[in-house]
Order: sequence, then C-alpha cells, then structure tokens
Amino acid sequence: MPKIKINGKEVEVPQGSTVIQAFKAAGQDICHYCWHPGLSVAGVCRLCMVQIEGMPRLQIACNTEVKDGMVVNNTSEAVKETVRWGMDFHLINHPLDCPICDQAGECGLQEQYMQFGSYDPEMAEPKVKKHKVVDLGPTVVLDSERCILCSRCVRFTDEVSKTHELGIFNRGDRSEIGVVEGKPLDNNYSLNTVDICPVGALTSKDFRFRQRVWYLKDADSICPGCSTGCNVKVHYNEEGLWRVKPRYNPDVNGYWMCDSGRDTYKFVNVQTRLLAGKIGQRGSWAEKSPAEATRSVAQRLNEVVEQSGPDAVAVVVTGQYTNEEYADLFKFLVQDLKVKNIFHWLNNPEKTTEFDGLLLRGDLNPNTQGLEGAFKANVGKGNWEDLQVGLSGGKIKLALVFGPENQSSFPDIKEKVQMLSQAQSMVWFTACHSADLDEAGCETWQIPLKTYIEKSGSFTNFQGKVQTFKVGTTVVPQALTVSEVCELLAGRDLNWALRPKSLGGAKANYATTHRGAL
Amino acid sequence: MSLVRRPSPAAQWYLPGILAGMWFTFKKMLSNLFNQKKMPTLNYPEEKYQYGPRFKGNHVLTVKKDGSIRCTACMLCATNCPAQCIKITAAESNDPTVEKYPISYEIDILRCVFCGFCEEACPVDAIRMGPEWQTAGLNGAKFTYDIQHLAYRPQLKGGIVSVLDDQERHRAGI
Repeated sequence: MPKIKINGKEVEVPQGSTVIQAFKAAGQDICHYCWHPGLSVAGVCRLCMVQIEGMPRLQIACNTEVKDGMVVNNTSEAVKETVRWGMDFHLINHPLDCPICDQAGECGLQEQYMQFGSYDPEMAEPKVKKHKVVDLGPTVVLDSERCILCSRCVRFTDEVSKTHELGIFNRGDRSEIGVVEGKPLDNNYSLNTVDICPVGALTSKDFRFRQRVWYLKDADSICPGCSTGCNVKVHYNEEGLWRVKPRYNPDVNGYWMCDSGRDTYKFVNVQTRLLAGKIGQRGSWAEKSPAEATRSVAQRLNEVVEQSGPDAVAVVVTGQYTNEEYADLFKFLVQDLKVKNIFHWLNNPEKTTEFDGLLLRGDLNPNTQGLEGAFKANVGKGNWEDLQVGLSGGKIKLALVFGPENQSSFPDIKEKVQMLSQAQSMVWFTACHSADLDEAGCETWQIPLKTYIEKSGSFTNFQGKVQTFKVGTTVVPQALTVSEVCELLAGRDLNWALRPKSLGGAKANYATTHRGAL
Repeated sequence: MSLVRRPSPAAQWYLPGILAGMWFTFKKMLSNLFNQKKMPTLNYPEEKYQYGPRFKGNHVLTVKKDGSIRCTACMLCATNCPAQCIKITAAESNDPTVEKYPISYEIDILRCVFCGFCEEACPVDAIRMGPEWQTAGLNGAKFTYDIQHLAYRPQLKGGIVSVLDDQERHRAGI
C-alpha cells in the first residue's frame, strides 16, 4: 500500500486510489463538486487542485492516482488562489437566489464558498439567463441557472440507474442539463440525483418548498420499505417527518436508495395515524386510550382461553416489526398462552424473490427474515387454509392481527379484514387508520402501534444482516410497541414514567387562547 | 461591616420637609397653569405623540408594482425572529415569473417584541416595521395578523410598494 504525505500528515491508502480519496482518509478538507465517491471521475469542476512536489503545475486530486512517497498539499498560496478563482468562475452565472432556493442550508456551493471562496467577486458582466422550473419528470424539477454543470446527475443516470435520461445540451456558458423530449427522468432512483446535486438545481417535487432545511433535525434509521433494509436518515421537526435520505453503508445500499423507500415517511405522520384505541364495528366506534383498550383485549383474551382453550385464538403476524418485538410476542403467545395457531401474512408471496437489480426487492417487508427466525425458534407456521376452515367453522373465536405498518405495500387488507371478521371478535394492531378496517363486520379492537422511527430495535434484512436502529422521534406518544402490548395483555402495567412525551407542535400563546383570563 | 446612616438632626423636624415639598408642587402647578405650552405631558388620546420615521411599530408587508405580495417565503424573518411569532407556509406560484410565494403569512402580534430583526433579515424589502402603534384591542380582537391585514389593510391604501423589483433586476442582468 502506497504511503503519501498530505499537508504534512502521512497516510496509507490502497493501491489505485486517487489523491482526493487520500485527502478524505487523512481527514483533510478539500474543495470539490463534481467528484462523488459513488460515481466515476469526471474532472470537470477543477476545484480539487493540489500541489504535488516535483510537478511544475497544480493537479486535480480526483483524477491523480496515488504513488508511493507522494508529497501533496492544498494549503499553499498558489492552490488557495486557484481555488478562489475557480469558485468565482462557477459563480459567474449562478443566480445567488439562496433565499428562495430549497438547497440553502445544505448547499455545497454555500459551504465551500464560505470556506474557500473569494469574498469579493470581480465579475461585472450580466449573468446568462437560462430556463427555470424545468419539469424533468414526475419527481424532479430543474433550475438550469443554479446548475454548475458538475455532471453528477448525468453520471448517475449513466452508471448507477443505467437509464440514461439526463444529458448536457448546448455549448459553453449556455450548456444546460436536460432530458430529451418524450423521455422524462422517470425511474425508481431519480431522487438520488437530487441528493447528489451539490447546488439547488435539482429539487424534489415532494419536498420542494415544504420546509427550510435548517428547521429539520435528522435521525439515523433503517428503511422499512423492503427487505433490503437501506440505511437512511429521517429528517423531522416538531410537526412530523418530512423526508428520508440514504445513509452510506457499503454492505447494504452504498450511497443510494430507491424512490419508493423515500415515501416511507408519509405513513408515520399524524394525519394517517391511528391516535386512540377504537372498539366497535362498522358504523359504531368508541374511542379509548390505547392502554385501556389493550386491557379490555386482555380481559377478552383470558375469557376465550379459559372457556375454549388456546386453540380458539388465531394470531396473524406481518413481517413489519422488529426482532425484539417478535421475541416478546412469541414468548407471550407460545410459552405463556400456549397458542399454536400463528400465521404469517406475506403480502405478495409470488413476488418475494423479485429484485430490480439495484436495491428494491419484491418482499416489501423489512423483517421477513426475523419473523421466519422467530417461527423457527418457537412454533411452526400455521397454514392459511386451516385458518379459513377454523374461521368459517366457528372454531376460532378471537383473531389477533399484527397488521401492516406500511399499508401501501399491502394491497390485500380488505380481503384479510373480511376473512378475519368471520371470527367472533378481532383485534387489529396497526399504526395507521384504514377505511377497510372501519368497515369490519365483527366486534373489533383497533390498537395504535408505533412506527419504525418511534421505537428501538433491529431488522434482519434479506442477507440475514441484523441492523439495529434507535428511537428517532415520537409522533404519536400514546401509541404502543408490540412488546408493550404483550406486557399489557399479560396483565402487567407499563412504566408510565418512561413513556415518550408529545412533540407538541408550535406552542399556543396563552394570551391568545385564554383571552379575558388575565 | 455594616454602616448605619442616621438622619441628621435637622431632618428630624417635620414641617421644613413638608413645606419644601408643597412649595415645589405649587410652583409646578402654577407654572403649568400660566404656561401650558411648556408642559411636558400630552392630553392623550386627543393629542398624540409623533414618533420619528425609524419607529418600529406594527408590521407591513410590501407589494410589487402589480399589487401582488413581494414576499418570496424564504423564511429568513421567521428564522431570525427571537419571539418565534412569524409562521409562513410557502407554495409554488402559478405566475411563471414567480417561483415561491407565501400562501399564508401570520404574525402573532402578542408574541412580537418589535425588535425589527425580521425587517433586517429580509433580503427583498418585503417586510417593514410601520409607524402604527395604537393597536390595542378588546377581548375577541384578532391579534394574529394575516396577509390581508399585513399587506392590504385600509390604512395602507392599497399597499406599500417595495423598493426591490424582480423585473428590473432581471433586466440589469443580476
């Protein structure tokens, strides 16, 4: 492995790596736009200039291979001057509309100009006007004026998604990113171009103008969209979640994630969530607090088990919960209650082995492997035909359903509700409210559960890799995890001192809400 | 060490102090009666004080030449506001020359501390602190000002035009 000296600091990097990778390995700051670790080298921005001892002229770090004994710096006056001027050239036609630009706050141009730029631009010519608000496809909007032509997005569609939609058109200062007419940027990885865009040229239609990024906090999590288990960052504020972005993990997802995974923030927000326990059936629902409702479920469960034995209880589980929750659930059901009828609800059994070649898998559950493991360790998987027979024969009196958290990946909810409501009573544990469930024909409990961002635990992905994640934020504080449900069903109480607090939203002004009270 | 300051023997007398105080009171009363113009107080509300032009009173949202709202919903004022009284919801505009505009801009005036940071933060002269200050209200009065009030209230006579015009800037090549 070649040894190289960077700004006086010695590092050892693998053979064949470039100087910019050595800079990253040494933890040294270097200005760059067009270079992205997940893409090929373009060398178009000319900002990663470095001085290499023995070479008469400055070199670009992204396209220079490391050689043993190289002495490199980017702190000399010559390099600083070059980068300053390079930055000025990038800003010649950049509109500097940071206040209305969605990228402001996380913009490479803003950050690097503050660090490396000249604060006194000398360009007096009028700026070249280009197209603004160009509709590239169903997910992405382009602002050509802001674009600095780093070509990252073009390389992404050429090399990673291999769909070749984007290209650079025209010449010189009139060059623009664009798509060919009739071929919009429409693939399941298009929003990665927004992530890698170092300026605000490409913006996501879903997130555009919704929030300023400096109002958002982020939390690390695992995408629950499919069994790949991409590592993600969830951006949230006190009103809820706003977007999901990929987090680098070389073993699972690299730098990318798919567009359908980016929608997994939507079902977490309070508009779609079940906020209180609901008891009743079609047309008549009474609301109770989740813990109260679960206690009444426990009562019914005990009655059924005492009168007709544990075989009168059927449990349906989806692969959307954490390994820890499955462990608690199977311990309670199999060891304490001796229930044998446990069924695995797989949403699309014929598609589970599908794979789009990059990240998205046909199995749209994050933890199918974990559930299979729990079944193997405890009890055999029940057969759906037996369940049908038991339900229509009246043998099964109570059905407990640990339903889907992400309902959009379960198209058969309506069928399952109709099928399971043949039992005398049904308990449906779910994070979101569902119109199909409100039409249930038998006595039904709906108990709100927490979503992936509100609990800690681990998912086992398709490779068998166990990925842990922690609580990011709490959207519905009164919702329960499956482990808490098991505690309550077993007749124990929760530790109320440890319950999460509500996000609160914007605080109401006392003087406006209580007028006349002063 | 504690120091105890005892009143001087002269101050222990009652009448000299009272008479000195009464002398001052009656002197002021008579001078105000015979020379009312020099009186420092105002007969509010019949008389009102004229504050300087830089007075920071209730906010005004400026408008463009065509009368539409100048604000671009960049939320720098809301970010800078120490009282967190500004709430903006941005949206995409139908006008092709405008990209982003506020569909709602609300100031909770009871929270506002009139510091003027919003007007300092604004990059396009969209919000200003106006001269109004007599905006007390009874119970039930509306203290959350919306765009209709901030930009188009009757006192503004159709809106105050911003000094910064996008079209002019565009023509100048900025």
